[in-house]
Amino acid sequence: MSTRGQAIPARAPRARPHADPRLVAAAPVALVLAATVAYPLARLLAQSLAPGGHWSLDAYARALSPVNLRPLWNTIWVSATSSALAVVAGSAAALLVVRTDLPGRRWLRTLIVLPYATPPFFGAIGWAQLLGPQGYLLRPVLSALGIAAAPQTIYSPGGVVLVLAIYSVPLVFLTVAGALEQIDASLEDAARASGAGPLAVMRQITLPLVAPAMLASGVLAFMAAATNFGVPALLGARVRFFVLTTSIYRSLNIPDFPLATALSMLLVAVSAAALLLLRRISRGPGRWAVISGRPVPARPLRLRGLRWPAATCATAFAVAVAVLPLAALALTSCLKYYGAPLAAGSLTVRHYAYIAGLDEVRRAMRNSAILATLAAGICAALGTAIAYAHLKARVPASAVLDALGTLPYAIPHTVIAIAVLLAWAPAGLYGTLWIILLAYVVAYLPTALRTVSATLEQVHGSLEDAARTSGAGPLRAFRDITLPLARAGVLAGGLLVFLPTSRELTMSILLFGLRTETIGVAVFNLQDGGDTENAAALAIVALAALLVANLAVRRATRGQVGL
Amino acid sequence: MVRLICLAPLLTLLLPGLSGEAAAPRPSGAVVLYTSLPQEIATNFARAFMERYPSVHLEVLRAGSTDLERRLFAEAQAGGIRADVLWLADAPAMLTLRDQGQLQAYRSPEARRIPAEWRDPSGTFTAGRLINMVIAVNTTLIPERVAPHRWADFPKFGKVAVMPSPFFSGSVFVAVAAVVQKFGWGWFERARAEGIHVLQANPDVARALAAREFSVGMALDFIVYGLVRDGAPLAIIWPDDGAISIPSPVAITRAARNPAGARAFVDFVLSREGQQALAAQGIIPVRPDVAPPAGLPGPAAIRTLPVPYAWAAQHAAEIRSRFEAIVLK
Repeated sequence: MSTRGQAIPARAPRARPHADPRLVAAAPVALVLAATVAYPLARLLAQSLAPGGHWSLDAYARALSPVNLRPLWNTIWVSATSSALAVVAGSAAALLVVRTDLPGRRWLRTLIVLPYATPPFFGAIGWAQLLGPQGYLLRPVLSALGIAAAPQTIYSPGGVVLVLAIYSVPLVFLTVAGALEQIDASLEDAARASGAGPLAVMRQITLPLVAPAMLASGVLAFMAAATNFGVPALLGARVRFFVLTTSIYRSLNIPDFPLATALSMLLVAVSAAALLLLRRISRGPGRWAVISGRPVPARPLRLRGLRWPAATCATAFAVAVAVLPLAALALTSCLKYYGAPLAAGSLTVRHYAYIAGLDEVRRAMRNSAILATLAAGICAALGTAIAYAHLKARVPASAVLDALGTLPYAIPHTVIAIAVLLAWAPAGLYGTLWIILLAYVVAYLPTALRTVSATLEQVHGSLEDAARTSGAGPLRAFRDITLPLARAGVLAGGLLVFLPTSRELTMSILLFGLRTETIGVAVFNLQDGGDTENAAALAIVALAALLVANLAVRRATRGQVGL
Repeated sequence: MVRLICLAPLLTLLLPGLSGEAAAPRPSGAVVLYTSLPQEIATNFARAFMERYPSVHLEVLRAGSTDLERRLFAEAQAGGIRADVLWLADAPAMLTLRDQGQLQAYRSPEARRIPAEWRDPSGTFTAGRLINMVIAVNTTLIPERVAPHRWADFPKFGKVAVMPSPFFSGSVFVAVAAVVQKFGWGWFERARAEGIHVLQANPDVARALAAREFSVGMALDFIVYGLVRDGAPLAIIWPDDGAISIPSPVAITRAARNPAGARAFVDFVLSREGQQALAAQGIIPVRPDVAPPAGLPGPAAIRTLPVPYAWAAQHAAEIRSRFEAIVLK
């Protein structure tokens, strides 16, 4: 402030060679990260190591006892299996939709991505209503076969894997489809011109090019599965199948806070291992830089005779995954009670009439809209800043920023909420929308950061170098060259934050206070309080609102953002 | 809004002539209620209250008992509980809050009509409703006469039996404590060996029974009653060795910002009118002069299993851990 009256040209930035301008630019980002991510997590770590102010490893000893090692192992295998399934299904779907002449591709895309807008918790309820012991789908099959009880229902480890995989498919699909769209088709054309058949092109050119995206989304899916609470809580607990998140929740309710924090650290270790693996694989400068300008649009692969069979299979899969659980919810929302005989006498609209009259519902919708919009904007901006500093500007020590920004992905949302509470509740933020926003930003920053990074990695540095050589400053080069090329990634990053935060539950339920309930909280409270049918009705209304908002965004951005 | 709330009692103090009774300021402004009542019952009850006290706006924050306990603990740590009134199912938690000095005494004139056993001697809380853990059966799956009629027989139905989790619900926690006190942990060991299923919240159990997923369950009376009213093929069995009756206490917090409004709410809960509003929703009233819902017994007619409240309050963590070690492993 004291420099205000001075002649600025006299202080040319290059006069001080030791003050790296890149460091100065990165400093605010580092500060924000320190406050939002590092400080709360440090508080949490301290709490696990020194419960009650005295150093003690007792909590860790209990966390590593045989009793707690089983949930750890369950977490690992469930997450690995479900993410592998999601990568296979999501990548296959992306290839079909982006690179072939499949009929109805645009509709298919919307259908495949639709589950991303559904809270996994709600999806799990829908699937439980479909494939539970007396589910809408299982019941007719059982009575046709004359069996009293199914040997296997959705309430099983397999059910947890299935539902987790289903809700990770959109993440894989969006990431892989994005990468496929960015591939320079001239590479494939060159291979084809050299005599390679379509399958060889796929195997030797296309798949290797999107492999980083597949791998990255697989790791993200692994971590999403490892940190999910709602699905194993609903589908696993009934058969005593516990994973780390459900064990943590239980220890919180015992209440055994030190054990909960120590178990959380185990979960952090699992995900951190996955993250390190990812970083190791994708290391190496320019390895994935394949976009060196505006991509030449690819020629769609002709499916010929397989066209309709493939379309039928893909549509059947997408409908089963996207529509069936919602249909189950819709049906339940119109029944006097779940399990009532499916007859005209069991139908009612009173659940819709009830939720229409609730103040909380209107307030919750407004709160969720505000929170999701702010979180998406902040995460996209912060994510872009970190990714750029790390990958392009190569700011010294920026790997630390990148790691800090990605770290929260390894932490269960329940624990992020507790860490944010520990750090910021004493500052008077308890029960405000701000503390919920903070938790959302911490939890979803990695999503935005990784999405933007994946896009930036593919933008070759040569383009910006060219701009710099032509006299553009670093900021101008960023604005005119990198940002436009990475725009799709930034927008996608924002959207990938907006969708899950607009119906977030795990953190909101711990952080909401008077008048700060979110839509996820409103739905959960109805479900939790025994109003399954009212909850289903509100979920249907909320999903309809999301769909309308999505269509509005898509129209406003002329199809660039939206599902 | 907040300013209005603070000003209202101040104005009535400054201008005693405006209010009817100089001693007790007329309740007005916002009253904040934290409760574990199911949402629909809470909403309907709040409407009935605001019809009786049109100048008061009741704001309801509903959450499960364990959730509310965590919230109250966090709020107490972060500068004071924000609720004016609490109405929980977890009586041990209320004892803990009282001993921590988070509640204030209020002897409502209506409380005289409530049996003494449901009033805290120090006047900090009074039962506002009676909920009962009973045995519920799906009558299409198991005839009522074959179903267990005593808690002592319940564990051997393990294969087709279901119960809620004390990790989700305060009333289940109380029920577990009562069963342990009466039968010892062996009851749960047996139930576990037979393969009992543990679901999450109380309504999950009643709903799973209605959906024919299980035949018998440990469930709350009013939730089963509501489903029966909607046509579900369920029946309530009042156990011969006693239902686990849980008086759900209502109390005013020490930090209440609107004590006059909070007192009006407690008065209404305990009043004839308030108890009638609850009975209309299937909840057994605590006042002898209000008839119970059709088909349900009055409090005096219920044989009960003693509940060790003080023991449960002191050993909450231990009881939950032991339950986890026996039943959830």
